[in-house]
Amino acid sequence: MRLLSFAGLGLVLTVALLFAVFVGDQGPWYFAWVIGTVMIVLISGAGAILLDAQQEQTSLEEI
Amino acid sequence: MEPIIPGVVDLSRLQFAITALYHFMFVPLTLGLTFMLAAMETVYVVTGRQIYKDMTLFWGKLFGINFALGVATGITMEFEFGTNWSMYSRFFGDMFGTPLAIEGLMAFFMESTFVGLMFFGWDRLNRHTHLAITWLVALGSNLSALWILVANASMNLPQGAHFDPATMRMQFDSIVAVIFNPDAQAKFVHTSVAGYVSAAMLVMGISSFYLLRGQHRQFAARSFRMAALFGIISTVAVITLGDVLGRMVYEHQPTKIAAIEGLWHTTKPPFEPWVAFALPDDAKQENHFEIGVPFVVTPLVTHSFFTPITGMHELEEQAAPHIRSGIEAVTALKAWRDGGSADDLARFNAHKADMGYGFLAARHAPHNDVSSIPASKIEQVIVETEPDILPNVFVTFWSFRIMVFLSLLFFGLFAFASWASLKNRLERNRLLLKLCLWSIPLPILATEFGWITAEAGRQPWTVFNLLPTFLSASTHSFSYMVFSLAGFAILYSAFIAAELFLMFKYARLGPEDHTTHAGLAKPHNGDQFASVPAE
Repeated sequence: MRLLSFAGLGLVLTVALLFAVFVGDQGPWYFAWVIGTVMIVLISGAGAILLDAQQEQTSLEEI
Repeated sequence: MEPIIPGVVDLSRLQFAITALYHFMFVPLTLGLTFMLAAMETVYVVTGRQIYKDMTLFWGKLFGINFALGVATGITMEFEFGTNWSMYSRFFGDMFGTPLAIEGLMAFFMESTFVGLMFFGWDRLNRHTHLAITWLVALGSNLSALWILVANASMNLPQGAHFDPATMRMQFDSIVAVIFNPDAQAKFVHTSVAGYVSAAMLVMGISSFYLLRGQHRQFAARSFRMAALFGIISTVAVITLGDVLGRMVYEHQPTKIAAIEGLWHTTKPPFEPWVAFALPDDAKQENHFEIGVPFVVTPLVTHSFFTPITGMHELEEQAAPHIRSGIEAVTALKAWRDGGSADDLARFNAHKADMGYGFLAARHAPHNDVSSIPASKIEQVIVETEPDILPNVFVTFWSFRIMVFLSLLFFGLFAFASWASLKNRLERNRLLLKLCLWSIPLPILATEFGWITAEAGRQPWTVFNLLPTFLSASTHSFSYMVFSLAGFAILYSAFIAAELFLMFKYARLGPEDHTTHAGLAKPHNGDQFASVPAE
């Protein structure tokens, strides 16, 4: 099962790499959109998790 | 050729503009909210905290209202190409229809299917599968937009097709050239990310409303934080990508860039000022009350300090040989189609690059037929056609400036909001919260003005340099157009009223009560995703 998961993830990574090479070459702004959107989503999510951490470390009720 | 009725063309344009602008009140929120939902649900799956699931559910409800109305207003536009723009569809349908059909399939199959699974799958799918579905909704809605923007880019920068004199229409050559059209790329990323800004402002504004009233504070603080960060990065991106799009316009649509910048004469770099304020006078072809910032326009548009930008007067002069050649092309084409010789076809092929200018000159030709212009009148027709190559400068100039000034305002607002949220000083800054609340409609307004810039600036063409707008419309009667326009305006206004009513209603109701504090509790040991019971 682990081997299958490993192979599956390896396949996904290979496809992602090929996608990145092709789209990065043919459509750099499409590639930028993919990377940028994922980055925006992750930073936004990280901000929320940071707020959780800030509230756990302090007794302040202020928002 | 059918007689051209200017009033009908204008009404067709007005009808399309109104339906498109109405539709685009819903689209940016759909594009952005889906990715915001993906962000919230990702945090829920990673942390297991109930509050993030409740955030996804609540903002998902507002997304659902917006999505339904967005789909309803979008369908009519697809039919309008056939009903009101049949000449355009005849000429360019081969090229335009392909991405439009894919967009329809994408919206109705991929996007709608996953939206259904997202809304009704919470209790039926495991959390990872549901998260994947939410991401696919986001991807699907943005890919729908991609195909429409690919189609639009084909009109601004036609690629991947050629004109066939036998069929009298553009024949499709390469889907790859159409998809990777540089205008499509720049327009897609700019428009999509503008949608992120709109969604971030909606979430931030409604969260501010709760914070101002002291309601749902923890829910609002998290929503605000996520929206502020989502918004600031998106605003930086939308400004950067707007510059990319501007470069594209400078390289391929010189009349549009000259109108955007209000440049009646070729610039003298590097001093040439960027016109921040002016009242462009289309009739007199000059600016009134001009206020400029020196040394800005050349690097802004050309990314160099010494490259002149051709002004509108000079562009008119440069158009003269193209109009002359275009008249030759259309005359030869007509002769060949009327049973002419191979020489006529050869003459057409020699001038076919300027064919669009020949069509443009038809407005000033007897019976709108350039082949019937007497030799003695050709120069007069060319002179009369020259000003036609320019768009409405006042509209293009100001719609661009409103969009740009608003985007700079968003940058300041999101930056301040991010800082206040990261420092936990939101509730101290009530003015900021009020500003965020009242700014909710502004990004949508900015995107509307962005579209007005793009489409008004493309005039007088539906397909740039190939097909003039006045030759693209159907030959409806004037009364038919007035009646259908009134119908659309009433129906779409009802849609907007329904959207506002439902949005206000559900925003006022707020999230479910149990989210207020209970969801903040840490996940239970051993059951990371257990819900915390309501207080």
